[in-house]
Amino acid sequence: MRSKLAPLAALTVTAVALTLAGCSAGGDAGDNGDVTTITFGNWRVEDAALWEENVIPAFEAAHPEIKVTYQPTGTDDYNAAIQSQIESGTGPDVIMCRPFDVNRAWIDDGYFDDLTGLPGIDGFTDTALAAWQGNDGNPYCVPIASVLAGFYYNKTIFDELGLEIPTTMAEFTDVLQAIKDDGTYTPLALGSADGWQLSYNVLDSIGPNYWQGEDGRLGLIDGTKKLTDPEFVDAFQAVADLKAFMPDGYQSLTYEDQMQLFTLGKAAIMPDGSWDVTAATATGLDVGVFAPPVVADGDQRYLQEMPDQGVGLNADSKNKDAAKVFLSWLASSEFQSIYVDKVPGFFSMGSEPVTYTNALAQEFADLKTDALLTPRLQLDRLSAGNPPLDDNTWAVLQTVLNDGVSPADATSKLQTDLDSWYVPAS
Amino acid sequence: MTTVTFKQRRARLQKGDAASATLVHVLLIVFALIAILPILVVVLNSFKTTMGIFGAPFALPSPETFNLDGYKNVLTRGNFGVNYANSIIVTVATIAATIVLATGAAWALVEYKVRITPLLTGFFIIGIMLPIRLGTVPIIKMMVATGLIDTLIALVLVYTAMQLPLAVALMMTYFRSVPGELKEAARMDGASEFRVLGIALPLVRPGLAAVASITMLPVWNDLWFPLILAPSKANQTVTLGVQQFVGQFQSDYPALLAALTLGALPLIVLFSVFSRQFIQGLSAGYGK
Amino acid sequence: MIRTGTRYRLLALFVLPALLVYVGFSVYPLLSSVALSFFDSDNGGSTFAGFGNYIYLFTDPYVSERFWNALRNSVVFFGIHLVVELPIGLLMAALLTSNSVRRSRGVYRTLLFIPATLSVVIVGFLWRLIINPLWGLVSFPLLGDAATALPTISLMSVWQYIGIPMIFLFTALIAIPEDILEASRIDGARAWATFWQIKFPLILPQFGLIAILTYIWTFNGFDIVYALNGSAPGPNYSTDILGTLFYRTFFGSSGQVADTDLGATIASVVFFIILVTTAAYFVVLQRRLKTYEL
Repeated sequence: MRSKLAPLAALTVTAVALTLAGCSAGGDAGDNGDVTTITFGNWRVEDAALWEENVIPAFEAAHPEIKVTYQPTGTDDYNAAIQSQIESGTGPDVIMCRPFDVNRAWIDDGYFDDLTGLPGIDGFTDTALAAWQGNDGNPYCVPIASVLAGFYYNKTIFDELGLEIPTTMAEFTDVLQAIKDDGTYTPLALGSADGWQLSYNVLDSIGPNYWQGEDGRLGLIDGTKKLTDPEFVDAFQAVADLKAFMPDGYQSLTYEDQMQLFTLGKAAIMPDGSWDVTAATATGLDVGVFAPPVVADGDQRYLQEMPDQGVGLNADSKNKDAAKVFLSWLASSEFQSIYVDKVPGFFSMGSEPVTYTNALAQEFADLKTDALLTPRLQLDRLSAGNPPLDDNTWAVLQTVLNDGVSPADATSKLQTDLDSWYVPAS
Repeated sequence: MTTVTFKQRRARLQKGDAASATLVHVLLIVFALIAILPILVVVLNSFKTTMGIFGAPFALPSPETFNLDGYKNVLTRGNFGVNYANSIIVTVATIAATIVLATGAAWALVEYKVRITPLLTGFFIIGIMLPIRLGTVPIIKMMVATGLIDTLIALVLVYTAMQLPLAVALMMTYFRSVPGELKEAARMDGASEFRVLGIALPLVRPGLAAVASITMLPVWNDLWFPLILAPSKANQTVTLGVQQFVGQFQSDYPALLAALTLGALPLIVLFSVFSRQFIQGLSAGYGK
Repeated sequence: MIRTGTRYRLLALFVLPALLVYVGFSVYPLLSSVALSFFDSDNGGSTFAGFGNYIYLFTDPYVSERFWNALRNSVVFFGIHLVVELPIGLLMAALLTSNSVRRSRGVYRTLLFIPATLSVVIVGFLWRLIINPLWGLVSFPLLGDAATALPTISLMSVWQYIGIPMIFLFTALIAIPEDILEASRIDGARAWATFWQIKFPLILPQFGLIAILTYIWTFNGFDIVYALNGSAPGPNYSTDILGTLFYRTFFGSSGQVADTDLGATIASVVFFIILVTTAAYFVVLQRRLKTYEL
């Protein structure tokens, strides 16, 4: 008897389970009477609460006929997920855009609609829009936020050791050495397991002071400069010199480990981006931030300001009108004030000035005064081919710190690899 | 040659047995500790404050460091009830579908030998080697076309397809050892083919258990397809929910560890419970 | 005997449902994606490229270097599983069949299998914590050193999945009829001799099977490396295996633009490698191992 019942039972279970499976709601966007729901795909899982509790309700209050669903995917999976979704026609209505080359590839593949003429798009400078322009020079994403790179420092440790904020690289080395000599704290909360942050938060942070910001970056793009030029090699050397101040076993330390080390008060200084303002202060430490020091006293100061988030319109969206209303709102100063206030560490890219209620965010923004701004070195046009300068830099920096590769060899490799496919724009 | 009495030999064997019994237990205990202690590290630390975790990661929660905030955060911000339900539905449905389909196919491939049988068998077996992620985009397009995108059914169908090759191969090995005489006798009694299969089923029960356990794990723990085929909050599985949670609370270690613990718990419990079923099923073969 | 015509009908009846699901949701999507490897879709539109992508994969210095690196790493990854996971899994299975654990067998078995029930997220997390130079037990940066990173991750994977060969071989061992074992016991054979001379040869087919399955799983493997090191696994690509190479190429990453045609090419090549080695294994070795009808 059991043998007869078993297949029957199995079939019943299958049928019931499948029915339950089929009955579960599909998260569909679309019209529901007078309310249109649009989906917003992005990679900021960390900001879900902030968007859902502060930003989106503000928009929906102003536009009750539109509802917005915040649909984040972890940043490692984001590109893959978006590509799969768009290729199969299930992409979100509005999509957060990566900056520069990756986005241009998406534009070329037809993911986005041209946003020329969108109300509010002219509130941004060309530099702001540049990260999200197509080859036709038209804007495809509304710039939402830029980020800055700097050095968080533990004010209590500095006071305890009698240290002052360094303004030149020589002073910086002295400060680090003083902390190391004291022995209680680790000078730098920095590991090399995550190559990307070596590139974005270290090289691209102190580097611009060596290669004169845009002069260096644009020089690489138009071919008048090479990575093997002395100013770039010196920048790599400066990164290599930090090795002496990194914690033991730094080769295995990840980005999260750095943050733990710093926020638990065990390390004095952490190179990082402004997006971590909230995380850096999460344990109640007295935290300040200082800008990457200049090479020699009196030099012009350079600071990395990177366009980080833009939002574009899915070319296949079924709710374009509602989506455009949302995008226009994102271009407004109303949104920008709320956003930078509730998500400290992200800075508005609009032309209108914004004040920041978060003290540390304001401190970060103040670093821009008297500094010339430049985005990260590798992401614009220099990563469109294979091997992309971006990924390659990550790997090379790791070899510099882990395997003792010399800056000369490192930059030489990067330039050779770049030359293998890159044709300078003339 | 020295003659050894039976008594002496038995005594020697028993002493040897005692020694080897101890050795067996020692080895098993060592292995079990290696298996369990790392997990305990996570579970215990989920009950501590952040300072407690990084101050002394391998210490038990003390009165100063004991803290349930991690769990509070997870249970309020997370969506665990729904996630569990979804994971259970998908996993159970996949196991059931896989067992039903694979058993039928394996039975036929072993029983009804015609010219295309080896071809069909090979066709299924090749499936074991296929990297199903490569087919993601066409799968999504199909799901969109049939309106199944962002449903749990989509997951069940894809997972069943993914598990079928191995399940069929496994069941075939079990079916092969069913004695021919049993089947012939049934047929001569006028039994229908379904009845014959029914008679063979108890003999392949260990195979069913094996298929169920081998299917349960990759389906429950899969990150990729829930992300692509069923991403909305109502449809998230536990694995996807935990992953999102981890992304959201990178610095909140107690919440992180609590989420990981809660995410791992169901399968551990499930498997501990079912392991008894497996014992029964497997001992049917052992006590032969 | 059943008539041939009836046999065809019965075969169809029983196999069709499985076949439909399998072809519909696995084979067809895969073939459809593999087809991409024969096209070149730069600059929108798709032009037929024959084996162009394959030639590119093996001749372009950067791409082929990544490929051979990934292949080497996959071999190491598999090798460690073969040398560590299978023997220890066999040992565990053998220990579990011992008479001295009759009552606690279930407990041991469950405990040893629990790591296999964990998702890769938690496995990666807990091991990273344990070997973290800052707060863990090990001060040497195992994951950060190019020489030790891959073996370390391989061992984590072994730790996680060892329960599977253990259970598999355990069921094979207990299927050996008692009378065969009884006979050897009466002859005074010790456990060690019994095991190697009687039990192991009888389960060789299953052992071979789990070995080849491990091979397939590690060559298609991806999750643990991805969970620990992302899609561009370092340091310096020392943990980049075929699975992560495919993922990164096909879907791109935050720094790398996606190249679906090349990705499909890589996947096809990997599938081919697996197919050829597995077929060779079955033809050469498995035939030699007799399956005993017990």
